[in-house]
Amino acid sequence: MATLFSPLRRLYLTLYNFTVLFGWLQVLYLVLKTLKELGHEHVYTAAEKPLLYAQTAAALEILHGLVGLVRSPITATLPQIGSRLFLVWGILWSFPETRTHLLVSSLLISWSITEIIRYSFFGFKEAFGSAPSWLLWLRYSTFLILYPTGISSEVGLIYIALPFIKASEKYCIRMPNTWNSSFDYFYAAILVLGIYVPGSPHMYKYMLVQRKKALSKPKSE
Amino acid sequence: MKLTLVSRSGREIVKGGIQLSDSATVADLQEAIYKRIKKHPSRQRLTLPVQPGSKERPVVLNYKKSLNDYTSGNSETLTLVFKDLGPQVSYRTLFFFEYLGPLLLYPVFYYLPVYQYFGYKGERVIQPVQTYALYYWCFHYAKRILETFFVHRFSHATSPLSNVFRNCAYYWCFGSYIAYYVNHPIIYPVSDLQMKIGFGFGILCQVSNFYCHIILRNLRGPAGEGGYQIPRGFLFNIVTCANYTTEIYQWLGFNIATQTIAGYLFLAVATFIMTNWALAKHRRLKKLFDGKEGRPRYPRRWVILPPFL
Repeated sequence: MATLFSPLRRLYLTLYNFTVLFGWLQVLYLVLKTLKELGHEHVYTAAEKPLLYAQTAAALEILHGLVGLVRSPITATLPQIGSRLFLVWGILWSFPETRTHLLVSSLLISWSITEIIRYSFFGFKEAFGSAPSWLLWLRYSTFLILYPTGISSEVGLIYIALPFIKASEKYCIRMPNTWNSSFDYFYAAILVLGIYVPGSPHMYKYMLVQRKKALSKPKSE
Repeated sequence: MKLTLVSRSGREIVKGGIQLSDSATVADLQEAIYKRIKKHPSRQRLTLPVQPGSKERPVVLNYKKSLNDYTSGNSETLTLVFKDLGPQVSYRTLFFFEYLGPLLLYPVFYYLPVYQYFGYKGERVIQPVQTYALYYWCFHYAKRILETFFVHRFSHATSPLSNVFRNCAYYWCFGSYIAYYVNHPIIYPVSDLQMKIGFGFGILCQVSNFYCHIILRNLRGPAGEGGYQIPRGFLFNIVTCANYTTEIYQWLGFNIATQTIAGYLFLAVATFIMTNWALAKHRRLKKLFDGKEGRPRYPRRWVILPPFL
C-alpha cells in the first residue's frame, strides 16, 4: 500500500504546493505592480482572481491533514486557514467598501510573502526530499515580522468592515421562524475579533516552538 | 526505607530524600512530601522511573498501597518521579459550579426584562411552552446538583482547577445561549401535541436517568471504593452507559418540545462528548472482564445509543 501510494502522494503534494505557490507569486506581483502604478485603492481588484483561487485552495490543506496525507494537526491548520477564508470571502469579497483601504496592501504583502516561502519550502521537500537550509530558515523566521503585520491588517480590516456589516444585514437570519433561531453576522464578526485576542499570541508562540524545533536540529535528519 | 524524589528531568525535588519506616504506605509518603514542600497530596503524581527512550507508560503509585509493593526484592531505597499536577478540586466541587450556572442563569431570561436590551420593546406575552420549559430546565439542573451531593459516589480522583473554568464556560455559555431562544418574546411554539410528547418523553428519561444513577451508586462502597464493576439491572442490561443514554434522550425530549437550533447544537456536542466517555468505559470494562482466569466475561451490550452504537 505505502509503496504504491507514496510516489503518488509525493507527486500530488508537489503539484499542489507548486500550483498554489504560483498563485501567490501572481498575487505578490500584481499587488506590487498596482501599488506602484495605480495606488493602493486598486490593489484588491488587480489581485482578486489569484487571491481567491490560492487562498481557497488552502482549504485542501485541512483535508490533507485529516486524511493523513501530511502530518500537520487540524488544531493548527483549521484556525489559520479558517481565519484567512473568513477575511477573503467573509470580509473583502462580501463587503467591497473595505477593498480600497491601505490595510489591504499590507495584508496581501504579508500573506503572499509568507505563503511563497511556505509553499516553496513544502514543494521542495515533497519534490526533492529536502529543502535548502536558507529556505528552512526563511520559513521559520519571516513570520516573526509577517505574523504581526498580517494579523494587525486582518484585525484592522474586520474592524473597518463592522459598520458596513451592521448596515447591510447581510447573511443575517431573523426571528421569528419555526426553528426559533437567529444569526447575526455583525455579532459573529465581533466574536471572531474576540477570538483573535487569545488566538494570535497562541499561534505566535506555537510558531516560536516550531522555529526552535526546526532550526536547532542539525540538518542530518 | 530511603526515598529519593526526582522531577521528570532528573532534578532532585526533596533535598536529601525522605526516610520512612518499612511499613509505610504511599499515602504516608505523600503526607511526608506535603510536610517538606507544601504540595497537597491531591496534586502529587508519583510514578516509577522508566528507562529513557522507552515508550511505555510509567506506573502511577496507588495511595492505598504499601511502598514495599513497589520495591524490587527487599531493597532499602526507592527512587520515584514526582510531578506537581497543579491545584486540584474534588469532582463534587467541579460539578456543583458547572450546574449552578445554568440553574441560575436560565430563570434570568424568563423572569427579568432582558430582551429590551436586545431591541425588543413592548409587552412580552409568555407562552405556555416557555413556562413548562423553565420548570423542566430547573428541575433537571436541581436534580443534577442534588445527585452530586447525595447520590454519586466519587473515587479518590480529583480534577485540575483549570477544568473548573473551562467546564463552567461551556455550561454557562451554552445554558444562556439556549435560554435566550427558548424564552424569546417572538418564539414560534410547536404544536400542543408535539410539546406534550417532548416534555413527557423527557421527564420519563430523567426519571430513568435517576434510577440509573442509583444503580451506579450501589456498585461502589460509601467511600467510593470498589473500583470497576459490571453494572446490571434495568437499562444496564441492554446498554453499558444507560446513564448517558437517558441523559441524551431527555435533552432530545426538551428539544422536541422547544425546537431551537441552539438546543440541538448543545445536544450534538453533549452526545459527542458522552459517546467518547462511553466508548472508553465500554473498552475498559471489556478488557477488565475478559472471562479468563475466573474473571467474569463482560456481556454483549450496546455502548450508548441503541440501536446504532
